[in-house]
Amino acid sequence: MSWKEGEEDREESLRRINERLSQIRIDASRSWKVFRRSILAITGLAMVVSVTLISIFADDIAVEHPSRDLLDTRDTWVNDYEPKRVAPFSEECDWHKQTISLTTLRRWDANWTTALSHEKVNPDDRTFYRDTLEVIELVSLEDNLGYDIDLSLVSVDEDNSSLIWISDQLISNTSYTTIRLTYVFNNEEMHHSWLPDGYDVCIFGTNTEGQDLFSKVLYGSRVSLKIGFTVASLTVIIGTVVGSVSGYYGGRVDEVMMRVTDVFFAVPGLILAMAFVAALQAVESFTMPLWLAILVPTSFLAISARSLVADSILPSSEKKSLASSDSIYSYFKQPVIVLSVIMFLILAGPWEGLFEVTDSWLWRVLSSLIIIFLVVGLVIADRAILDKSSFDDYLGRARSALDWRNPYRYLTLRTLAIFLSVAILHRLSGDTDGEITLIQDFDRLWKVQVALVFTGWPGYARLIRGQVLYVKEMAFVEAARSVGAPPGRIMFRHILPNAWAPLLVAFTLDIGGTILSASGLSFIGLGAEPYAAEWGRLVSDGRTYFPQDWWLILFPGLAIAFTTLGFNLLGDGIRDVVDPKNRS
Amino acid sequence: MIGVTVFTFGISQIIPADPAAILCGERCGLVDPTTGMTLLELQRERLGLNKPIIEQFAIYLQNLLEGDWGESTAYHRPTSEVVKDAAPITLEMSFFALFIGYPIGITLGILSAVWQDSVFDHISRFMAIAFVSLPIFWLAMMLQLLFSTGPDVGGICDPLFGTQGGCLPIYGRHDVALTFPDYTSITCSEISCYPWYYPSGGTGFHLVDSWFVTDDALSTLHPDYSTNRALFNDSLSHLFLPSFTLGIASAGSLLRYMRASLLEVLNEDYVRTARAKGVSERRVILVHACRNALVPILTILGFSIGGAIGGAVLTESIFSFNGMGRVAVQAITVLDFSVIMGVTLITAVIFLIANLIVDILYAVIDPRVRLE
Repeated sequence: MSWKEGEEDREESLRRINERLSQIRIDASRSWKVFRRSILAITGLAMVVSVTLISIFADDIAVEHPSRDLLDTRDTWVNDYEPKRVAPFSEECDWHKQTISLTTLRRWDANWTTALSHEKVNPDDRTFYRDTLEVIELVSLEDNLGYDIDLSLVSVDEDNSSLIWISDQLISNTSYTTIRLTYVFNNEEMHHSWLPDGYDVCIFGTNTEGQDLFSKVLYGSRVSLKIGFTVASLTVIIGTVVGSVSGYYGGRVDEVMMRVTDVFFAVPGLILAMAFVAALQAVESFTMPLWLAILVPTSFLAISARSLVADSILPSSEKKSLASSDSIYSYFKQPVIVLSVIMFLILAGPWEGLFEVTDSWLWRVLSSLIIIFLVVGLVIADRAILDKSSFDDYLGRARSALDWRNPYRYLTLRTLAIFLSVAILHRLSGDTDGEITLIQDFDRLWKVQVALVFTGWPGYARLIRGQVLYVKEMAFVEAARSVGAPPGRIMFRHILPNAWAPLLVAFTLDIGGTILSASGLSFIGLGAEPYAAEWGRLVSDGRTYFPQDWWLILFPGLAIAFTTLGFNLLGDGIRDVVDPKNRS
Repeated sequence: MIGVTVFTFGISQIIPADPAAILCGERCGLVDPTTGMTLLELQRERLGLNKPIIEQFAIYLQNLLEGDWGESTAYHRPTSEVVKDAAPITLEMSFFALFIGYPIGITLGILSAVWQDSVFDHISRFMAIAFVSLPIFWLAMMLQLLFSTGPDVGGICDPLFGTQGGCLPIYGRHDVALTFPDYTSITCSEISCYPWYYPSGGTGFHLVDSWFVTDDALSTLHPDYSTNRALFNDSLSHLFLPSFTLGIASAGSLLRYMRASLLEVLNEDYVRTARAKGVSERRVILVHACRNALVPILTILGFSIGGAIGGAVLTESIFSFNGMGRVAVQAITVLDFSVIMGVTLITAVIFLIANLIVDILYAVIDPRVRLE
């Protein structure tokens, strides 16, 4: 069938798309009606939305930046005025009064100091800044042992009320190493617009470093949401691929995959994730060997192309033989042979280190060999096309290839992708390390995420497998198979769209679960660095002062519980919506 | 099972630590005069690290079968001993947690299903989701705050029961006073402080062992703990908070399963038949419906044991129980790979055994399964 002959088909497909769109619209409004009925689901949605909003607008709501430089070493004056380990809304939180420590020993150049606020973050350009404070009254002066010193030795500048003068007498007196000065200042400028008068930071109290817990909890939402979404998405993708392949092909593939997931289920997820994080400890940046980065997408494309070619181009006799053979191997045979030869060449290369691609002449020779083999593989995969069509009308072919209604566009895209990856391979073959860096700074948070993906995918694989097994038996799949649709097409066009509902529920629930496990890992010290704005870490940091400083535990934990609860309620609500029992 | 061994071995292979280097420490560079090899090389050879991976795996499997689980580099003891000391602690906690969590979950689940769509149902469904959403470590510490502290930091016990500094102990497996009479005579290994007055070769479960302490041993103890019952109560009070924390989490999921399962059963024909022949509603639900609804719940039992062991990692470090979770965390911080492997393996074994028992129970309870 040529491109022109298919006009009717294309119109038909357009009509179907429009029909489908309107159907989706109707479905969505009905789903929303079901969803709206449930108070719990609406609560969950509100919670999730509020946490998301908080994470977006954390810069504006927070009182200070969570990771500001605590010890400003450039300043010889150590401003030690932040109330440490202060309970929420306590007296000490009243920032009208400040105590600063002055080191008199190093002071020889000037006799004054400036009253400064704590470091704040500018919401516009996110730089740090400090306000100067207007000193209203000096309250007390103590030496480092806590004895009172005559207050008249310090004075506020008459012209500039933020300047404090220290008399020579105090500086020349070598018995004072540090003095502690307490003063009352005009707090107006330091105020965050929505905070009540007098309380500047102490909504959730402060930690042992004097950092505001409220700001930390707010910024923690960013980390947690990021981890939740990343891990849940990746596990969904991996789980879907593994589960659908396993469920669709069944047999030996299924058997092997399910035994693998059994192993994962046999070990508690947290212990497994812990072991995995430990295993990743020495990894500094997450890289993928070049050959893998090239070969995986290439082989994937080559395999899927094979079935597409069989679907559309091959003569019916050959198609029949392909369709009749149930073995998965027949579909994979050619690419597998080609790829195994390539793999063998790479692995058997006489260089040191099995997977290290070196900058040697040998590597160049071999990379050229690889390219040759890839092209050969491409030709084998595309043999049917090359046999059946000429290159005369290549401009027209290109135009029709870019038309999104063209059913053959996959082939074009695939060919492009393979040539691109081959080009990249060639371009990078002179590279010294020959690796593609996926994550430059593979810090502990990343390790936690990778570990959670690693432990999380079997659950999805099981879920999707079950769904695929269920949908596979339905009549429309049978129909698709009987007209000779290839496995890839049946999978992605017929089965998966009908199996998405439990997937969506599991995805939503999994975000909550991931946030919970990630904070658990952080809590036992495997996640975020100390004093990082991550909820599990905040609880872990606060443990040292438990139970006296209960607020250090209570608020970050509440934040975790709130977010997780939100996602779980939302997932539960979605489950009600997609449940066929509630459709009526 | 074989998969699990492959798995643990794989983990040991990708862990970046060199166990030989850890074992010989600073003396790695020294040369042994008789063989002419450095100590590092000697250790490697002793541990078999210079052999091919496949052979190492075969040796590992063979050693496992012979009961040799390797040697812990952190504790300088055989891993099997380390795990053997730690496992009962975690198991006791997990079992007790299920003991607490199952009645709560099943009761609430039944009530929730019976009064479907009532206010109670909504509240208990919310509670079920909330129980699952609470971070275990946070819940544990909040419970500590409520029950193990004085009123100045939020404890509720002192005004209610007139206790001093809370009514439940904040950490440990037994009262510190029990270790005082003669400190040196306690057989305290590095990871688990097993009290000397408990019979040697006991189960390792304090709740059980406390009943088998001999009178001679009891007479040497603090007067407050001179009976078996006092020892038992002491263990129970120490075990309650950690187990309750774990139990809450499993009760949440159980409630949901129980509710769904009972709702399904209530629509069955035999329930309608029972109602039609005039059986009282209470009897219909408790005898006819619940018995059938509980069968699928049994399946979750195996999984909840796994879940409780996983959660124990967090509670143990909070309540200072030297169980497997805490041992695993410590092993991971010092990269003591043989202990990590051992703990992973033993949890997998426990999980598999639990599921096997559940399967057998399933056949015992549900005759339909037996027929198939």
